[in-house]
This record gives sequence, structure tokens and C-alpha cells, in this order.
Amino acid sequence: MSVTVELTYDMSQALGVRRFDVDGVRTVRDILRLTRERFGDRGEEFETLTRVTAVAVNGVLVNHRQGLRTALADGDTVMFLKAAAGG
Amino acid sequence: MIRGYAGRVLDVDLAARTFAFQPLDEDIARLYLGGKGYGARLLYDMTPAGIDPLGPANPLIFATGPLNGSVAPQSNRFAVVCKSPLTGAIGNAACGGSFALGMKRAGIDVLVIRRQSAAPVRLEIDGDRSEVLFLDASDLWGKGTYATQEILGRKKHHAVIGPAGEHMVLYAGIVSSERIAGRTGVGAVMGSKRLKAITARGSRKLEMDDEQAFQQYTKWVREMFRGHPVLGERLKRYGTAGIVSTTNPRNILPTRNFKYGHHPDALNVSGEYMEDHELKGVRSSCIHCPVTCGRDVEVEGVGRVKGPEYETVALLGPNLEMLNLKQVAQWNYLADDLGMDTISLGTVLGFAMELQERGLLQAGIRFGDATGISELIKDIAYRRGLGADLAVGVKRMSEKYGGHAFAMHVKGLELSAYDPRGSFAQGVEYATTNRGGCHVQGASMYMESVGPLTINPQNLKLKADLPMVLQNLACAINSMVLCIFTTYGMIPGFIHNTSPNSFGHRLLTTLFENSGPLLRVAIRQKLAPVFWFEKWLTYITGETTTAGHLQEIGARIFNLERMYNLREGLTAGDDTLPLRMLHEPTFAHMTSGHPLHQLLPRYYALRGWDSQGVPAARTLERLRVKV
Repeated sequence: MSVTVELTYDMSQALGVRRFDVDGVRTVRDILRLTRERFGDRGEEFETLTRVTAVAVNGVLVNHRQGLRTALADGDTVMFLKAAAGG
Repeated sequence: MIRGYAGRVLDVDLAARTFAFQPLDEDIARLYLGGKGYGARLLYDMTPAGIDPLGPANPLIFATGPLNGSVAPQSNRFAVVCKSPLTGAIGNAACGGSFALGMKRAGIDVLVIRRQSAAPVRLEIDGDRSEVLFLDASDLWGKGTYATQEILGRKKHHAVIGPAGEHMVLYAGIVSSERIAGRTGVGAVMGSKRLKAITARGSRKLEMDDEQAFQQYTKWVREMFRGHPVLGERLKRYGTAGIVSTTNPRNILPTRNFKYGHHPDALNVSGEYMEDHELKGVRSSCIHCPVTCGRDVEVEGVGRVKGPEYETVALLGPNLEMLNLKQVAQWNYLADDLGMDTISLGTVLGFAMELQERGLLQAGIRFGDATGISELIKDIAYRRGLGADLAVGVKRMSEKYGGHAFAMHVKGLELSAYDPRGSFAQGVEYATTNRGGCHVQGASMYMESVGPLTINPQNLKLKADLPMVLQNLACAINSMVLCIFTTYGMIPGFIHNTSPNSFGHRLLTTLFENSGPLLRVAIRQKLAPVFWFEKWLTYITGETTTAGHLQEIGARIFNLERMYNLREGLTAGDDTLPLRMLHEPTFAHMTSGHPLHQLLPRYYALRGWDSQGVPAARTLERLRVKV
């Protein structure tokens, strides 16, 4: 199962990529774990950046639903965004 | 005279070239504050139904409010009110810049421009001498808004139109400094009067009831705004273009004429990108505003000018599948100089591109291709060739060329850059707002989707209550005349810094989602001023104002505007969304679009309207709306 991850601007600056695919993930939380493994030290920074973050799966915010426990399906796009993003 | 007001209305007759200073109507000021509220009352009383918006009978009303001339953050704005040539409904637009300060220093709360001049004219108002000069503007006619202001004197306070206003493009705006009263075609009405520019000066000082308390409290508010995660950090650092990073992941960023809500390369036009790359911005602000949401950017061949705002970036960017920020900045400068609304312009161009794609129009422009766009924008402003057809807005274009299913307007006003399919309360607000498809008549999207409260923007909870409460508040704020960003401070900073995944945040948002009845009771309280809008009014006018008062005033203004529209022949059928928004899903879990039909009856009931959207007599009586 493959999932695409799209990053906020500051996250993408930290990791050096704007989007990437991850395999073998079942939940949003798994993405954090795999990202840490894939990007090494930068992954820690990524995790820090996602600490106060809303999560959208295919454009739907999941924080008020299952949050990081949200189950993912093949082909999903997971997007992170800062909660205090303004309007 | 109530404190906070200069106490004068200046009435100008352009045909007779006469003027008169008249006393401000204190009763109207108490009931409608100023700005668009006072303007709506005058417009309703001054004009019969069915006037030609571009004819001599349509007055052009400039109005300030009781906070203008003070140092309150985001307070130096003016409103322009008239019958809209774009929608045929009530028209109004607000603007920062410096003209509000000029009016207030001239000792004028409201400026009414009647009838039309036979030749291009400009006005110079000297408030200290109570004098108005009618000056020949033939030499300025045809000049852009920047050049016009430069010639008239950069340090003076002007309101001017560009070629788009002169040629009565139906979405032309009125420019002051680098800001624009863009929406509903107020610039076309000024152009129809052959009025190129107004300059106001004077040395009057705002009188307050309790200046010491006002200054002390304002100092606190200013510091609070400076430390606020959105007002003091996010908007300050990235400008409003930073909102791209919020709407794109939420699938509500207009893309390809609103067909989609997400573009994979949208970061290329984000505020963060602007901050980091060649368009690196210098912050700019309206007078006395600590937020500094504006960017100055370098435009090739022009120099340093105002950078594009979020709406412009979204609608001239992803909505046209243009991901080149330099290009968007150039078009933004061009539109500002020509004096036209970039929201309507971007939506018009997106519509034209889709018409072209479907073989309904030979416009020679395509999604993702900048070729020919700059020339077309100029052609629109001068109504040349195809530009003349695009100068009348999306609604009239769809009547000529077809494409109703993807014509993105409400009541004839082109939609702003928040897709309501992912923001249900915003959809109700678009559908019911009196001036049409606009986002600053409540800004429900901030509370439900793009702000820090991650409530579910796609269920029915609170989605009728929230727009009503926020529309009322916005009516009051736009009549004071304050920037809508002042409402963003209502969500305390600590909420922004809590994880949306935490138990506390989820509990809070769940409570908020279910707070409809409580919210409606809370906002009626008239016990004590809580927020800055209320305290500022109290300190300035000396009349205690609370959230309940502001809701009542706002509801009064909203219902008066509604009665104006009904008098003009609008019906409940006009409270709708573009067909694409109602029928085309953009989320995997949706089978259709926005569920407006489920929310509108409840919204009408909450408003005290009948099933046809007509305010009940008792509603008007309770709100003291005389019609």
C-alpha cells in the first residue's frame, strides 16, 4: 500500500522534498515513524514541526475524527498543515 | 453630537457643481454606526427601486465610522455604498489606504456624490474652510491609479479610479494609496459620474469621551495583536498569501475555475515562497495597523509595488493553473493600476478559459498558459474587443455564452477564494450575503476551516448559526469601519498553540460545534463590553456597547440591506451557490456538492424570516428597521 505525503512549506524546507511516497503504512502515525527512519536527523525536525499540526487525508481534516490513528488506504494523500495558519 | 463623529455630511451635486455641509443624522449614527450601515440607510431612503446603477440617480456614498481617525489598529478604512452595476443589488466595498483619515480630518463623516458631471472632474475638499473645489480632470483621464495619485501628491489623501472605472468595467474599484475598494463595481459608478479623484484634507481631531482609557486599552490590544499567532506572527511574516498553505491542504483552494480545491504545486505561489525567493517582501500596512499583512514586491519594469494578496494569488494563480508568482504579481500590479477588482478578474478569466476549453468561446487563453493574459486585462479595462465581453462579469458572460453550470458567482458577484464544498458555513454565508459571493461579510471560513479550531467543516452542526452571528458582527465592524482581521484575535493565542490531536483541543472543538443555542444566547448579552470592538466604541462614544448591541446593530444593517435587495426584485432564489458548488463533489466521501438546501431553511428561521426569505414584520420592528 502506497500513500503520498504532502508537506507544508517549512516542513519541505526541513526535509528537502515537497512530497514523497511511503509504503506499508496503516495510520497517519505510521507516517511519522517511517519519516523519522527515512530522513534520519531531519526526521526528528519533521516530527517537531508536526507537533502542533492539523492533518488532512485527501483534503479532509482528521483531527476531530481519529487524528493520528486515522486508517489509510492505498493511494491516499496525507497533508500536514499548521493549525495557526491564518485566514 | 455623539463623540467619535465629526458631525458633518458633505453633499455634492456634480451636475450643478454645488455642495452643502449638513449635520450628521445622530439617530442614523446610533442605529447604523457609520460606514456601510449608514450608507445603506441613506441609499435606501434616497433612491426609488429600479434605478440605473450607472445613471445619475445612483448616489455614490463614502462613509467613515466612529473609530476612523483614532489609533485603533485596523481602523483607518472607509466604505463606499451605491447600487451595484455588477449585481443590481446593494453594492458596497471597503478600503484601507489613507482617504478615511483625510475625510475625518476634513470633518466629514459621510460624503454623498449625486448626479453626473458633463466632463471629467476631480474634487478637492478643504474641511477647515468648508470648501469644495470642482477641478478639471481632463489631464488625468486615462491615467492609471498610481500615476494619478503621484500627480495629485503622494502625501495627500485621495480616492481615485483608473481606466477600468472610466470605462465602467462592472467590477472596477476605487483606489486609495495602494489599497482598493474592489468589490461590486463601485469604481464603475464613480466613472459613470466622470469623477476621477477626490482629495480630502483638514486638521480636525477626533474627539473621544474617554481618551485616556481608550489609549491605555488600545496599547494593550496592540500588544496582544503583536503576540497573537495569526495576527502578529503568521500574517505578519507571510502576509495573506500565506493562506495558500492553509486552504490547499484543506482542498478549498480554487483550482481550474473552482473545479478542484487543491493544486500539487500551490506552494510555488504561497506566502512562504514569496518570503524566501525573488519576490522577497517588505512588510507594509494600513495606517496604525500592527499586523502589516501587506507585502511590497519587485515587479520587472515597474519597481517596488504592492504585492498580491491571498485572493489575488489564488484566483490569478491556481484558479488559472498559473503557478508563477512573478507573473501573478505583474497581473496584480496591472489590475491595481487599471483600477479593477482582482477577485472578479481572476474568476472572469477562469470562466473564460473553461468556456474556451469547452468550445463555447474563442478567447485565445488557456489554463496554465500566460500567453495573452496581460493584453486581455488591458482590453478589459478599456473595453476593447473581447475585453468588452469580459468587462461585464461572469453572470452576464454566462447569459451570452452559456456555461451556467460553471459560472462562479452569487447574485452576480464573483466568488472569493474559499471553496464552500469544504467549508459549509462559508457556503451559507456566500449564498445569503447581501452583496453576493464575498468572504469578508462574516468570514465563517476562519472559524470553521482555515483558523485554529479544527471543527468538522463538512457537517451541518453550527453551519447556519455561525454565518448569521458572524455576518451580524461583520456588518457592525464594517460600519465602524474596521478590518475583518480584528475578529481573528477573538480566538485566544493559546488555542493556536495546542495540538489539534490533543484531547483538550478535540473537546473544545466538539463543544464549539454543539454550541449553537448557547452561542445565540451569549451574543445577546448586554452586560458589559468584552472585546475590543465594544470597548473602543464605549470609550469613544461614551455609550456603553456590548456584544449584544453589536449583534443587534449588525442584524439591523443586514436586514435593511436585505429589504433593499427585495425591493430591487431579488428573491430567495438568489440565495444560492454556483451549480458546480451544489452538484460537483471534490471530496472522495461526497456524492454531491454543498448541502445548501438543508441549511437555508434553518438559517431563514434563525434570522426571523419566512420560508421565502422575507424578514417578518416583527423582525423588522424588533430591530427598528424602517422600510
